[in-house]
Amino acid sequence: MGKQLFRYSEEHKEKFLESENITFNDGSVVTSEEIWHYLTVEGPKKYPGSFEVNLYQGNRNSRDETLPTSLKTHYLGLTFSDRMEKAKDRGKSIAFIQGGQAVDPYTAADTIALRPGLVNQWNRDLVHGNDINKEFLRRKELKEKAFHDMSFEACQTGGYEHIQAGNLRVDVIAPFTVLRCSDVSYGVEAHRHGPNKNVKLINVDYPLRHQADKPWAIEYFAQNLRKLVGTLDEVTGRTTSEEDLLASIKLHNEGRRLGTELSELWWSTDVPPTNSADRASLVGLGNLDNHGDVRASLSVLKEAKKFIAERVKNGVKGHAVPDNPKRIFILGSCVGINTARSEDSGAIVVGKDDQWSHCSTLVEEEGDPFYNLAKYTLEYPYEQSIEKRAQWTIEQIKKSRADGVIFIHNWGCNTQAAVARPILDVIKREIGIPTYIQERDLHGLQHEQEQNRVNAFIEML
Amino acid sequence: MSLSENFFAGVDVGSLAAKAVILKDGEIFATGLLKSGVNSVESGLSALNLALDAAGLKKEDLTYIVGTGYGRVSAPYANKAVTEITCHAKGANYLHPTVRTIIDMGGQDCKAIRIDENGAVVDFAMNDKCAAGTGRFLEVMAEVFKVKLEDLGAIALSATDTVPMSSTCTVFAESETISLIARGEKPENILNGIHHSIANRIAGLFSRVGITSDVFFSGGVAKNSGMKSAIEQALKVTIVRPEIDPQLIGALGAAVLARSFAKKEGLWAA
Repeated sequence: MGKQLFRYSEEHKEKFLESENITFNDGSVVTSEEIWHYLTVEGPKKYPGSFEVNLYQGNRNSRDETLPTSLKTHYLGLTFSDRMEKAKDRGKSIAFIQGGQAVDPYTAADTIALRPGLVNQWNRDLVHGNDINKEFLRRKELKEKAFHDMSFEACQTGGYEHIQAGNLRVDVIAPFTVLRCSDVSYGVEAHRHGPNKNVKLINVDYPLRHQADKPWAIEYFAQNLRKLVGTLDEVTGRTTSEEDLLASIKLHNEGRRLGTELSELWWSTDVPPTNSADRASLVGLGNLDNHGDVRASLSVLKEAKKFIAERVKNGVKGHAVPDNPKRIFILGSCVGINTARSEDSGAIVVGKDDQWSHCSTLVEEEGDPFYNLAKYTLEYPYEQSIEKRAQWTIEQIKKSRADGVIFIHNWGCNTQAAVARPILDVIKREIGIPTYIQERDLHGLQHEQEQNRVNAFIEML
Repeated sequence: MSLSENFFAGVDVGSLAAKAVILKDGEIFATGLLKSGVNSVESGLSALNLALDAAGLKKEDLTYIVGTGYGRVSAPYANKAVTEITCHAKGANYLHPTVRTIIDMGGQDCKAIRIDENGAVVDFAMNDKCAAGTGRFLEVMAEVFKVKLEDLGAIALSATDTVPMSSTCTVFAESETISLIARGEKPENILNGIHHSIANRIAGLFSRVGITSDVFFSGGVAKNSGMKSAIEQALKVTIVRPEIDPQLIGALGAAVLARSFAKKEGLWAA
């Protein structure tokens, strides 16, 4: 028996076609009509898993069809792998990076920066016609292979495995060593000793011990960023100037400003204008790094802000949002709870600290752009000491009016596992709201054990 | 049968057992308990039918049913589904309103739950995707020693020594136990070690949620006196055990919630 797939309803086609086109980095434009065609004809054939009515995706028949930008983020996700392949065919340079970095230098150096999740997505979607089960089996096989090749398990081993195996045309691996993911060091070593020597490795040395207040640490890190851009230039054959970096910072600041404004609009009303997934995907556009195309992200973000403002003004509630939901703020890297199933249990996710930390602060636009960017990166609230990070998190919890906090992290994420408890202890001590720690199994499709705990937490709220 | 008698049911389908409790006018009226099979819908219905038969009722006589346990996601017979954490809290509060802390050890998980005077959950912690400290773990150990599950606790209490267990993984602990037997360690001392190692894991859960008296022990493992004693030593508390079968507490709490939901939804007036 075939899997049941949802279809975007023709009923909403007209409104969608009235919405704006998407403009991409290379200047190309995709019209709303072309997007609609892709989402209703080509996409379901290529990626049936993304249209599957499955408990894992909340058994929903559709996304929020009356919110065109929700469909557009779906489109950007579905076309991501093809777009990366086309970018490579055009000679574009692609870098594999990890969390905690600003992508401004990569944009300046005409390089697409992909975090581990996007590298995995690129590889996953090279294969067409898979349903959800087949997609997960493929992912699981790859994680096992990576474990045997590298002898450690962590969330980003898949990325190194793809690159070593030559599955993906990545030009550069650019981790900030000692920033955030302790496992990055293992990945770097595995790559250094792997058979594929064609991919350049740049080690950017991130100063340890939270030294954002020390000018020498900022200058030292700025020097490292200059080296990073220099190495990216060696790959692309071009020369990136300070003016290029400043232009990139201005562009990314525009995204960060819009993302912040969109989030504040969302928080300003008691009726959630979107469900949790749409909120995350739209606010997440603010960093302009989620779809491998800065201009495309910016154009959808601009339009999303207009739609959300209209919904807030008219008191429109997002698709599948429960009445008077319990508001949950999520902490931790890389993973989140199953938002659809949590909404079915009466909750909504009102924020997440990780990428929000990058989005909610701006880079100074006057003066040395390398120094400014170094200072900004060292000041990311998410990367600060436990007490500082917790204080910033408390501010976000208050702004979002969250009723409870769940800290979720991947199994094997030593960094987040180590700080989860002390951060929640500070939050409990200062504002006394309920908190919960959840560890995510790296391999699973079914998360019944996890969902059981999340549901119990929602009931407790 | 008069409808004014107001019957409410709770059905708890766990990994090892399915349980049902029927309340009549707020009092426990009938119960049903059986081993759960692979079909959780059938298991839940069978437990409910057992309780209905014992009560001399039909399903239509029930005003409201709440499903809980892992089988709650496929319980078409229930009006509502609630997690077993909330249900154990309500069940314990129903039997002993002074209870503030619950240790629940079921077939595949164990929970540390702190509750308030109304039986609402204040905080909780559970074992992490591992069968250590659960009914299934003890079942495996009973098979290794070729003794009945219900005798494990008494054997452990007769120990003269405690053999430390280095592994709490169910499979690895089984092989470790076999090698300890081969080394000549006495079965009662090994079992005592197993009980203490589980008790220490439970104590670890309480480091997160805290302990306030009275402390209540529910779930199938609560029948094991050796486990009760080991936990009392590890937590330095006196444990209250329910007067009814401790496996029924989740279903009881579900029935209590059924009564309260029915009232909220206007299906019943106290």
